[in-house]
Amino acid sequence: MAALNTAYPMPPATADLATTWSFLEEGVDHIMTKLQTGVSYSKYMSLYTVAYNYCTSSKMHGNTDSLGIGNRTGANLMGSDLYNNLIRYFVTHLKSLREKSDSLQDEDLLRYYAAEWDRYTTGANYINRLFTYLNRHWVKRERDEGRKGVYPVYTLALVQWKNNLFIPVQQKQMKLANAILRLIEAQRNGDTIDQGLVKKVVDSFVSLGLDDSDPNKACLDIYKEHFETPFIDATEKYYKQESEAFLAESSVSDYLRKAEERLKEEEDRVERYLNTQTRKALISKCEHVLIREHSQLMWESFQSLLDFDKDEDLQRMYALLSRIPEGLEPLRKKFEEHVKKAGQAAVSKLVGEAGANVDSLDPKAYVDALLEVHRKNSETVTRSFRGEAGFVASLDKACREFVNRNAATGTSNSKSPELLAKHADLLLRKNNKMAEEGDLEGALNRVMILFKYIEDKDVFQTFYTTKLSKRLIHGVSASDESEASMISKLKEACGFEYTNKLQRMFTDMSLSKDLTDQFKERMQQNHDDMDISFSIMVLGTNFWPLNPPPHEFVIPAEILPTYDRFQKYYQIKHSGRKLTWLWNYSKNELRTNYLNQKYILMTSSFQMAVLLQYNNNDTLSLDELVAATSIPKELLTQVLALLVKAKILINEETDQYDLNPNFKSKKIRVNLNQPIKAETKAESTDVLKTVDEDRKYVIQATIVRIMKARKTMKHQPLIQEVISQISQRFAPKIPDIKKAIDTLLEKDYIERVEGTKDTFAYVA
Amino acid sequence: MVLLVTSDNEQFTTEKDIVERSVLIKNMLEDVGESDQPIPLPNVSSSVLKKVLEYCEHHRGEPLPTADSEQSQDETRKRTTDISEWDQKFITVDQEMLFEIILAANYLDIKSLLDVGCKTVANMIKGKTPEEIRKLFNIVNDFTPEEEAQIKKENEWAEDR
Repeated sequence: MAALNTAYPMPPATADLATTWSFLEEGVDHIMTKLQTGVSYSKYMSLYTVAYNYCTSSKMHGNTDSLGIGNRTGANLMGSDLYNNLIRYFVTHLKSLREKSDSLQDEDLLRYYAAEWDRYTTGANYINRLFTYLNRHWVKRERDEGRKGVYPVYTLALVQWKNNLFIPVQQKQMKLANAILRLIEAQRNGDTIDQGLVKKVVDSFVSLGLDDSDPNKACLDIYKEHFETPFIDATEKYYKQESEAFLAESSVSDYLRKAEERLKEEEDRVERYLNTQTRKALISKCEHVLIREHSQLMWESFQSLLDFDKDEDLQRMYALLSRIPEGLEPLRKKFEEHVKKAGQAAVSKLVGEAGANVDSLDPKAYVDALLEVHRKNSETVTRSFRGEAGFVASLDKACREFVNRNAATGTSNSKSPELLAKHADLLLRKNNKMAEEGDLEGALNRVMILFKYIEDKDVFQTFYTTKLSKRLIHGVSASDESEASMISKLKEACGFEYTNKLQRMFTDMSLSKDLTDQFKERMQQNHDDMDISFSIMVLGTNFWPLNPPPHEFVIPAEILPTYDRFQKYYQIKHSGRKLTWLWNYSKNELRTNYLNQKYILMTSSFQMAVLLQYNNNDTLSLDELVAATSIPKELLTQVLALLVKAKILINEETDQYDLNPNFKSKKIRVNLNQPIKAETKAESTDVLKTVDEDRKYVIQATIVRIMKARKTMKHQPLIQEVISQISQRFAPKIPDIKKAIDTLLEKDYIERVEGTKDTFAYVA
Repeated sequence: MVLLVTSDNEQFTTEKDIVERSVLIKNMLEDVGESDQPIPLPNVSSSVLKKVLEYCEHHRGEPLPTADSEQSQDETRKRTTDISEWDQKFITVDQEMLFEIILAANYLDIKSLLDVGCKTVANMIKGKTPEEIRKLFNIVNDFTPEEEAQIKKENEWAEDR
């Protein structure tokens, strides 16, 4: 058994430094240079034990002066001799490594360096553990006392490598760094290189960085100084040269692809063998050289990419320019201009040369043309510009511009809202193909796309209200469901107030239905002469854009009882309400019994009044008819013209109208109720008049609201505030606002503040 | 299984996870690799190793202090003189054995055992006068009266008052 322990003879615990070190040095050298031959347990233990024994021995190796009373360090720790001997060993060891490296260049140098680094650091790790006791006590004490130049053994080994191998080699024209840079350049040129080798050497640069206060903390100063900085410089030079040469003989499209690839490559490079900290500096340098330096050229090529729908190139250009600050702004501006022009061009094409078709413009064609421009460019934003907010804003701005101002609108702000409202009306009418196809909802949504851009939303509102009232009165709405859906869309876009009237119109319609039913029931109880079927719509004056006939009207005797009964019934039900009869919107059905075939004539009230006169006469003059109905002559002739055209009446002599006893029709139901031309023409101008009237009140109300809140305000800010509050609905004109201010001054809602030129005060 | 050989040439066979409470042995097994060579422990005698292994066996599987946590653990270690019940019973040995265990723990780098030993000594000293302490550990007072007065003055702050 004795043989076991003595298998590895070691100096006794009391051995002096020379004996101790010569034993240790042999072991250290073995580990540093011949580790591959192995280390036995007993050799390992003996080296550890000898180092331990030396450090724990209480011999005074010439350090007596640090002992004694008043020495605040307390007990002396042994170790400085071992530490100094280790330094001497490393220095000698590294000197020989350096000498061997002198003749090596480039990849050979890197291979040698990397191999030696591996061997050296592995060995140093061993030594570090063998000298654990030294680290734990002597080194720790030294560092605790502020001697930061003393390191744990492994760190010491790195410091020595740096000072005795790395720095001297680098001092020869950055031999190491340049060797790496040449490899990287070769890779950029398309060669295959040993990336593992580069990584190993680069990693060693990182390891050599040393934070003096904490040896365990990573510090990149060596890496930065000896590699990163020269690497970034080389990168800049390389790509500057390459990009200029490339652009000299290739198209911008090709360059975009190239730049994208290069940026990707550099990202990968960091991933593969550089320190992640380099990413930021490297990529921003590449972005500068590859993008910023050529951004002018890219901006200039943008238009042609748009013109030719080069989606992929647009995507690339967007992706590249989005990487540099302010890179996208010129694109956004150009895109806005592009969309605006596209919209205007589409309308110009529709209107034709010299505005030939402005008046007969088909609402659907107009709306479709605008929508198509929006759709196409909106897709471009989504696909090529990743829906980026700035481009969305450009699109919106451009759309707002061309929707409100184009060849069809001229200077009129009401043309677009009018056409859009008409288009919506066509969609929501019965017999519309869209509705049958089931895409009505989609079509309405598309209306809303344009609605968003309409500046004068109140004009749209007025047109829409008029159209809706017609649909409801005439019962030609496609479906309540679609009407409700459209109203809720408008409400979502503009708020409750905007659709309030529309909703009330629906309420009136359903109330009227009930009212008709109740009236009918009551009449059946009270009278038995109900040969007239009657239905009524009672519509709130404030919610419906309807006007009573501007002339007298003699209610025909045949319907007078019904008229009186309803009048009475309604007054009892709602005393105090005033009923205005809108004869001009009513319609009637008359049954004929003067012909062999019985026909049902569908008429307007005025036609009905005329025809009823023939219950007692076969021939009547124009004057007689005027007298009998009170319809003004001018209108009456138009009413008669329709009846003559339908051959119900015969007009053989001037101003004389005879009942046609030989009337014939293929259909049993004959619709005579055609719109009179004068009415349709008047409609648009009427609507606009209503809009103007409404605007006056909106402006006045807004001013009063603002003044009530602010009490006093100067002229200019007041106008600004009014504009900003109203612009949601329409763009108010400054003269109109001034006029409204004057009106309010007159009506004593506001007053001028005395002693000032332009300040108003609210009058409570 | 690991074979240990003490300074007095006695062999101990034990399990790896027991003996690896010693950071020294753990590191060596890591560095050199495992083999069936015996591991010589020239600084530990068989009677002490027996005690040390008893301790290691009891504490097997407990986490070893890691390099990063050392700082914070140092703090808690320094602040308390508490010793667990088992450890207390374990360390109830004669003074000579106590110091042998401390030395072995220091050599083998078994931090927790070193702590138990040192805390025990600290508890022995606690509340005693220098004279009592000298007596306890059999220390000859080799200070001159001047030196003693000087030390007393310098350490006045530590006096329990």
